Amino acid sequence: MSLDQCHSTVGELAVVKPRSVANDQIGVDGRKYWRGLEDAADAPEFRDWLEKELPTDASRLLESSRRTFLKLMGASVALAGAATLPGCRRPDHKIYPYSKNVPEDVIPGRSIYFATSIALPGGAVEGLLVESHEGRPTKLEGNPLHAGSNGKSSAMAQASILSLYDPDRLKDPRFTGLSKEENEKPRSWQDFSAWSMQHFGTLKDTQGAGLAFIVDKKRSPSRDAMKQRVKAMYPKAMWVAYDPTQSDDVVKGSEIAFGKPMREVLHLDKADVIVSFDRDFLGDDAAMIRNSRGFASKRSPLTTKDGMNRLYMVESSLSLTGAKADHRIAMAPGGIATVAAALASALGVAKSAADRIAGQMAGAAGEMSAETSKFVAELAKDLKAEGRTGKVVVLAGPSQPAAVHALCHSMNAALGAGGNTVHYRAMSEDEASSSVAGLKTIADALNAGKIGTLVCIGVNPAYDAPGDLKFADAMGKAAQRITLAAEPDETIERSTWHLPLAHTLESWGDLESVEGVFSPVQPMIAPLYGAKSELEVLAMICGDDLEKADGYELVRNVWKSRPGFTGANFEKAWRRGLNDGVFATAEKSAQPSVNDGPVAAALGAWTYSPASSDKMDLVFGMGAIGDGRFSNNAWLNELPDPITKVVWDNVALVSENTAKKFGLEQDPETDKKRYTKVIDISVGGQMIKAAPWTIPGIPDNTVVLRFGYGRVNVGLVGEGTGHNVYPISGLVGSSRRFAAGAKIVRATEGERDYQVVTTQHHGSMEGRAIVREVDLLAWQKFGDARDTNLDSYGNQRDLAFAERLGELSHTPVNINAYVNPQRGHKDGGVAKGTQAENGSSSYQYGSKDASGASRPVDFTKGPQWGMSIDLGSCTGCSACTIACQAENNIPVVGKIEVNKGREMHWIRVDRYFAGDSFTGINASSVFFQPVACVHCENAPCETVCPVNATVHGPEGINYMVYNRCIGTRYCANNCPYKVRRFNFFDYGVKKINGAYIGQEAMESVGAGPKNHNLIPPRLRERLDEITKLGMNPNVTIRSRGVMEKCNYCMQRINEARIEIKLKNLPGDREKIPDGFFQVACQQACPSDAITFGDLLDTKTPYPEAGGKTRTGSRAANLAANPRSYMLLGYLNARPRTTHMAGIRNPNPALVSEARQKLIDDPFHHGGHEGGHESEHEHAAEHKGEHAARPANNAFDPAKTITDSGYKLSLAVLGA
Amino acid sequence: MSAIHPDEINAGRLTGAIPTDRPQPLDERTGDGTLIDDPAVRAPLVLNNRSFHDITNMVCGYVEEKPAGWWLAVAGLASTLAGVGTLMIIYLLITGVGVWGLNNRVDWAWDITNFVFWIGIGHAGTLISAILCLLKQKWRTSINRAAEAMTIFAVICAGTFPGIHVGRVWFIWMVFPIPNANGIWPNFKSPLLWDVFAVSTYFTVSALFWYMGMIPDMATLRDRAVGRLKASSSGPTVAPFLKLRVDQLRAWIYGFLSLGWRFSSRHWQHYEKAYLLLAGVSTPLVLSVHSIVSFDFATSILPGWHTTIFPPYFVAGAIFGGFAMVLLLMIPCRELYPNMKDLITLRHLENMAKIILVTGSMVGFAYAMEFFIAWYSGNKYEADVFQWNRVVPTWLSARGAPYWWAYWAMISCNVISPQLFWFRRFRTSAFWIFIVSFIVTIGMWFERFVIIVTSLHRAFLPGQWGMFFPTPVDILTFVGTVGIFLFLFMLFLKFLPAFAMSEIKNVTPQASPHEHH
Repeated sequence: MSLDQCHSTVGELAVVKPRSVANDQIGVDGRKYWRGLEDAADAPEFRDWLEKELPTDASRLLESSRRTFLKLMGASVALAGAATLPGCRRPDHKIYPYSKNVPEDVIPGRSIYFATSIALPGGAVEGLLVESHEGRPTKLEGNPLHAGSNGKSSAMAQASILSLYDPDRLKDPRFTGLSKEENEKPRSWQDFSAWSMQHFGTLKDTQGAGLAFIVDKKRSPSRDAMKQRVKAMYPKAMWVAYDPTQSDDVVKGSEIAFGKPMREVLHLDKADVIVSFDRDFLGDDAAMIRNSRGFASKRSPLTTKDGMNRLYMVESSLSLTGAKADHRIAMAPGGIATVAAALASALGVAKSAADRIAGQMAGAAGEMSAETSKFVAELAKDLKAEGRTGKVVVLAGPSQPAAVHALCHSMNAALGAGGNTVHYRAMSEDEASSSVAGLKTIADALNAGKIGTLVCIGVNPAYDAPGDLKFADAMGKAAQRITLAAEPDETIERSTWHLPLAHTLESWGDLESVEGVFSPVQPMIAPLYGAKSELEVLAMICGDDLEKADGYELVRNVWKSRPGFTGANFEKAWRRGLNDGVFATAEKSAQPSVNDGPVAAALGAWTYSPASSDKMDLVFGMGAIGDGRFSNNAWLNELPDPITKVVWDNVALVSENTAKKFGLEQDPETDKKRYTKVIDISVGGQMIKAAPWTIPGIPDNTVVLRFGYGRVNVGLVGEGTGHNVYPISGLVGSSRRFAAGAKIVRATEGERDYQVVTTQHHGSMEGRAIVREVDLLAWQKFGDARDTNLDSYGNQRDLAFAERLGELSHTPVNINAYVNPQRGHKDGGVAKGTQAENGSSSYQYGSKDASGASRPVDFTKGPQWGMSIDLGSCTGCSACTIACQAENNIPVVGKIEVNKGREMHWIRVDRYFAGDSFTGINASSVFFQPVACVHCENAPCETVCPVNATVHGPEGINYMVYNRCIGTRYCANNCPYKVRRFNFFDYGVKKINGAYIGQEAMESVGAGPKNHNLIPPRLRERLDEITKLGMNPNVTIRSRGVMEKCNYCMQRINEARIEIKLKNLPGDREKIPDGFFQVACQQACPSDAITFGDLLDTKTPYPEAGGKTRTGSRAANLAANPRSYMLLGYLNARPRTTHMAGIRNPNPALVSEARQKLIDDPFHHGGHEGGHESEHEHAAEHKGEHAARPANNAFDPAKTITDSGYKLSLAVLGA
Repeated sequence: MSAIHPDEINAGRLTGAIPTDRPQPLDERTGDGTLIDDPAVRAPLVLNNRSFHDITNMVCGYVEEKPAGWWLAVAGLASTLAGVGTLMIIYLLITGVGVWGLNNRVDWAWDITNFVFWIGIGHAGTLISAILCLLKQKWRTSINRAAEAMTIFAVICAGTFPGIHVGRVWFIWMVFPIPNANGIWPNFKSPLLWDVFAVSTYFTVSALFWYMGMIPDMATLRDRAVGRLKASSSGPTVAPFLKLRVDQLRAWIYGFLSLGWRFSSRHWQHYEKAYLLLAGVSTPLVLSVHSIVSFDFATSILPGWHTTIFPPYFVAGAIFGGFAMVLLLMIPCRELYPNMKDLITLRHLENMAKIILVTGSMVGFAYAMEFFIAWYSGNKYEADVFQWNRVVPTWLSARGAPYWWAYWAMISCNVISPQLFWFRRFRTSAFWIFIVSFIVTIGMWFERFVIIVTSLHRAFLPGQWGMFFPTPVDILTFVGTVGIFLFLFMLFLKFLPAFAMSEIKNVTPQASPHEHH
């Protein structure tokens, strides 16, 4: 989705005069009953129709055919008038079909985009553009106008659309606590309204005594206004804003430092040195999108003159941030605090207290090794280096105690970071309140019998409360439990009123992002199951009737009094806001000053207690499914964890040593079932079960746990996934993100073995030059030099920097015997594909064959598509995987099928660990590499397909012709990149979760574990009907027995091409301007690591930010960059997707000897593992060759003799 | 042969008991007398001085006799297995290829392993018939018919797998160059397409060759049935309630199949010519079909597959495995059928054992060459496939090959076990030959498994390494094809002339003009 393509941003939109739907008399078959709701509401036939047709009744909806549904949904959009004002929701609520009188902007089959925003776990807010097909939202993308999203989006945001179409969603209100039959009876919202009028009417008289609210934590002006309204009406009511993953220490830390709670807004694009104490700002962070972009902007030097930022990480889990770090120390959380203190001491911040702590550490079991001391000293030097003032930032993570947070604020102030690399925004009352403390107050009140009515909105405390609160039991003590939730959950299970919550895409609201962007939440579709939003339900609780409790009016009224929206200005500002998806960006708040006294005092009060094997440290964080609200989301469940690559599970990460100590060695990677031994983790009197898993880079005596799994009352998808870790987090005396003093033992009863499934079993590159990465110094030294030596046969090499890092510098130049039909040329030097400099790319060979006839496929005519994936920027977050899944209707296969190696993701992120550098400070040891089909010009898959089902297109795309495919799978065998995915069953069509006839019987052979994610066929029928609505209509759904793979989002290319033609924009088939559209993975990528474009576009000038002009497409420029290399380039498959070697920027003062060798001579180490071990003996010889080997000496006489056969064959070929 | 005396017919009905032994004085130290070292002495190819008549009686007797108990037992077992296999195939077709253990790392596993295995088995028959015929190896005559039958049945089993392993069986016709309105042809660059042509051609020619060779013998069966019908009004009927006599049925069926053969000289002349021509046509096919099957791998770019040595290596392996299978089938028959030892002598077995030794060593050489080239090429990926995917066991190195046992099973079965045949004691012992043949057959299955699975499971990108584990359906499908193969072979033994009578008679001493009788 590009700016240009989006209606919302083409030109300046005049304020469209509101079209009054109510007054439109639209003739349908000559009859005139299509009026506005208010006009026709009394007509019996209209009522009849309304009941029959309006999708308020879930069961009916499920029975209705897809076609009916489309009609309805299309109607609901058209009705809203949205189509007449793209990018903005018309405020009307009425529904009429556009089978006649289609609004002029609506073209059936063409997608429309609308702006909205979404709140995600952990306080994240993302601005979105929603792609809508005939009224069905099908794809979410980042809103480019939203300063937080900037056109990008996270995996969670991408996947949230699947939750909209989740067939397990609650459908009708229920009222339980009566007889069994009555309990099952669906209620209407009228019933609830009537009930609540009466019930809350009574409560109003008592000023709300005995009433308690637990709501999700949210920065939302409308919600805050609603809270005020609730407070005004029920002054004695309790109100708790609750986020189960929130660490109170973050808030407390800022309170200590600034005297009031402040949240950090990072400007990492301005930071040259970043120090993070266990803060995973690229992964598990509310501003992950913003931070990734800022961080990545300084991670990809395109020329040897460009600088880079430097990231120091001290952490106890292995996070995405740690994986990108230039220096990383793995440490138990307590140890991290001491390093922070040591750094403060070195910087002279809160010196005496810091010294004391650093001293404690030095005393305790030698944690402060000499290496760490050196690390801290050099780090301090680096931070204070000349010109660094205001260009550095020190960050503390949620596992760290409040004192460390305060200390980091202090250090930032001392280093001049405040106002430069980090800004602060005041927290709202709800945001700053402590979730756990609030919940405890309510639990105590419940236990004391003081609460008669408990209202839970968007929260699930019965599942995620700390274990010592026993909240699920306490809940039952309130006479009325009213819960508003989207899907079945543990809390709703224990409630008297079950109220279905509307999905974000179905409701009105507003949100404030971390950086202070206020954005609207507007519905894209009428609620599928007649659900209501939280604002509407709260309004009903405040006494509004069903008619009045209307989300649109509620939000609108709030904004009528917001600055910039007052008076005559309102309508314009409101419409503009809805159109852009941004209401306002908050003013910068003044930089608060740090109070050093309390910081030192807090630090002084902190004591270091090292972890040991019987007192282990626990660290908590969020995994793929967030805090648990996405537990029933199949895409996120099947998204491999970026680091462990585990799917459908949360594992307890422990170090190899710890695992050994407790006898927890897991089955080898070659084992069929991959069992791990279940452990009991007990702390503070609470115990949970967990499945331990070892990966490198985890400190000893530390267990890293992930929230959100192990749900009990959940839909079919989430059942039986993982283990719940909430009961042991947030106990008295510890925070939700950290606990000390835990014991682990092998589980003695119940399930003792547990199957853990990963998509990647092997983490070593085996010395192959797959991910290429060098240090900045090596890049600066050698980046511009090309290897133009002759190979040992006398053929000219021409290798750029990154190509020299791999096999090509060891293999003879590839001489093709055959004329490439697409080029009319014998593909010569393998490196040519990436030499697009000065417009002379290799895609410019003759387009005529010998007889002068044009070739059917001609690579010399544009556009020739290509992709560049920057391994320097890529943070491994896997948003691309989900974006691709959403765009291309990629099915989910379930845990058991993944275990067999049948996951279907078109783009995956390979993760490699390198060598033994996980200890010490040089840990640049995790590498990410997104791989999708690379669209080889000499595609090995194409030649072997017997039925021509995979062929080359004129624009260089390797087409997969589903209709033609018979499924021999030879293509997949011959694909060196292993990117082809085969539909072993009808994953996409009927059985979305990998189920097949007789599966259970099959699984039971050999006593394998049951597939918990198996959906019984009866339910699947239902599931499919509704899930189909979320499918992208522009992409075929593949049947069983068909091979599939990335197709470079061909549908988007064609959409762009049509757009160009329709709009009569400059350009034609030959030329779609660069950046006019983006492919799905590129579009989502928060760190902008993926670039797609026309490789032949090397001459067009494109304006760039900062008044500069770029010549040629970004993709062509990047392909020509010396950092680009072709993965497995020596095979001469000539991939169109090239990768760019990653660059790291270690501190020269901390570089080990081995690493220094790599900097001095980077070319003999494929991958990052010492490269070709077997070729080390050649290193000396090669060194000379690279340095200054005279060309005429390239022939080694001995070699010439032994290779005479080869020479002869070259002569015969005329090479 | 034109006139048949009724007595002879009656005599023929009691095969096994009737041919009286007319022992030749043979040196007992040379096994059954055929293992003569003296180059001056021609070892007899048929023992016990069998007359033409005896041979006819014996061979036709195998068909005309009531089936023995062991035959019913074996055929019953085989048909049960075949039924199970068929059910598995139906299940696969209904449900999807996913019921096998294949995955996106190892996209071919047992399916293609079994295909190549059976195709390899299918080599010996045509080799014996065609190449040995052209080379005038007279000893081929007593084994060629059964070997050819085995070939046909093995190719049927082989053809099953490419057919059912594709994702959408109902579109399999797309591999054939059928003119269509879309103007889309199969991809003639794909070795899978060459396979389609190679295997179907091979099957057609082999079947023709086999059938044509059987015409005179089927005419003999026909004539004997007709003779019996004429000579006697009674005889076994098809069923008690059906008055149709078995011999009547034989007369019809064999009569139809023998295409009006009248044993005339003209027929013989044409027959001999056609036989020679088909032998000539078949000979290159023997070499081509497995070469082309090997192209499925050799033309790919996968280390472990992309090997120029594959065509000759596959052909040698196929002959190796095929001969092992012939022995595996014929040695028990020799024991179980009366008088069969007169036709298949120890010398036959020894000759075949020698071929196994030679081809086994060729295969061993090919294995060695793969290593040499992997090292010589200096290609890390290639070397890794051999070192880390196949050879080094997991207990020796953590990085070792999880399928090391498959590789070493292959080496011990295919390279080491045939070395026993350097010793005469082993290669002249039916028991040991049977054992070794059995081991070789297992080894040849493992060879294909090793080539296919161990190359695929750890290919270029270590991040995409994965394992293959067979499911019960995998196993039962393979067992099912064994059943199909065995059942077809049992039917062949019962209903078709298992020996080329006319040819055997040709190589008896009586047929020689120099015979003193």
